Amino acid sequence: MVQVTYIAHDGTRETIEIANGENVMHGAVYNGVEGIIGECGGALACATCHCYVDEAWADKVGGPGSKAEEDMLESAAGEIKPTSRLSCQIIVRENLDGLVVRTPETQY
Amino acid sequence: MATPEGTTDSVPDHVPAHLVRSIGMLVSPEFLADPYEFFPRLHEDDNPPLFYDVNPVMGNTWMTIKHDIAFKALRDAEHMTTQTAGIFPRDPDHYFRLIPQELNPPIHRKFRNVLDPFLSPKAVMELERDIRALANQLIDGVIDRGACEFTEEFARPLPVTVFLRFMGLPLDMTETFVRWVVSLISFAERDKAIEIMSEIEEYLLSVIEEKRTNPDGAAISHIVHGRIDGEPLAERDIYGFVFFLFIAGIDTVYAALNNTWVWLARNPDRRAEMRADPDNIDAQAEELLRVFGVTFSGRVVTQDFEMNGVLLKAGDRFQSLLPSCNYDPAVWDNPREVRFDRPRKPILTFTGGIHACMGGHLARLEYKIALKEWLRRIPEFSLQPGCEITYRPSGVIGPDAVPLVW
Repeated sequence: MVQVTYIAHDGTRETIEIANGENVMHGAVYNGVEGIIGECGGALACATCHCYVDEAWADKVGGPGSKAEEDMLESAAGEIKPTSRLSCQIIVRENLDGLVVRTPETQY
Repeated sequence: MATPEGTTDSVPDHVPAHLVRSIGMLVSPEFLADPYEFFPRLHEDDNPPLFYDVNPVMGNTWMTIKHDIAFKALRDAEHMTTQTAGIFPRDPDHYFRLIPQELNPPIHRKFRNVLDPFLSPKAVMELERDIRALANQLIDGVIDRGACEFTEEFARPLPVTVFLRFMGLPLDMTETFVRWVVSLISFAERDKAIEIMSEIEEYLLSVIEEKRTNPDGAAISHIVHGRIDGEPLAERDIYGFVFFLFIAGIDTVYAALNNTWVWLARNPDRRAEMRADPDNIDAQAEELLRVFGVTFSGRVVTQDFEMNGVLLKAGDRFQSLLPSCNYDPAVWDNPREVRFDRPRKPILTFTGGIHACMGGHLARLEYKIALKEWLRRIPEFSLQPGCEITYRPSGVIGPDAVPLVW
């Protein structure tokens, strides 16, 4: 298991244990973290699992993993920043234990 | 019958006359001749973004063909509900909710969590080998014959077999299941709906009992033995969940495959283009799923509010015409053109909002495998000369039959 902390727009923090190999969107949706919706379930078809990777983790996590993610990010409702990612595309591994992501003010 | 027959006499007073239309969805000669000519044309015919449609089979309803308005409606749980928006007749004394479709937040997510992990992209990838093997086995059965009826011999058995295995339902009942579901969603057979509903219920309840004593690790078993906040699901909720999956999983993928194969059969150059670029299958599939959406999504307005400058009142019905929204020129340039290099945008084929299709990953996977394997093994094919491609009014849109030759 890997720990991921989600910080909401209002500063609320929640730390969730996620199985190795699972993605950051599912970690939120299956555990009641509200800042991430993930309505398409991870098909790169909705842009409602937008998150900002914490600066300290940005290099390790990296930018969008595909052209499809890059395109879809443009449809996200919240402000797009250099650390923006679609959390369904961030797979957690041991090397991301302790990862911190922030969720945008809105996903719609 | 939950849907009242629409007439212009029954348009409510708060609907401005200039917004009343009768576009002929499902029933007009234009729709029945070719729905995938009908859907893009709605944009070209200068329909208002949000209008009030009068329709003899769908009833009277607000309707949108715009991507942004549909997305707003699909995501607006405050003013719109999926409850009572369905077309399936149910006994009020022994009622069940369509689950998770008719649930609202926050309980909706808890029910989804019972099954979503088994339908995640990662979970469905486990099925890839089996699906590919099945696709090839079906192709083996027709390839040397030089002809087939695509629906019966490929489009239907592929997804239905995968779905029945996923659910833990017997494959030898396939024909009965298909007959039930096709009749139930057909607007032409509404009079049979109550009888079919009870046949399905009797059967599915016996399956639920069976899974209770013999868990098998398939979907129905997961639901029967599922827990929400530590508690088992209520009897009628188990039934509503199983029934809803049963209705949703049988006919959608094969309608999409049928629509796509009619287009492929008529467009040899595009087949060649796809075959030449097999690594681009994700974009190819997404673009074809954009232009060949098969269903639409209804809501009921829960409180008076204004949308796009129009007053909607509590109790009004609302329909997002998703296959048409996927041709919205505000989102896709030259929307009729099938282009495999478009920037990725959210298509509404699997709807949107919290009720977005649970089986979307499985559907996409099946669709991609079908395209790739068929085009690899039967690259040249066409519609049987002289055949007529016909459609009927149904909640899931696709041709009745697709006779192919090669």
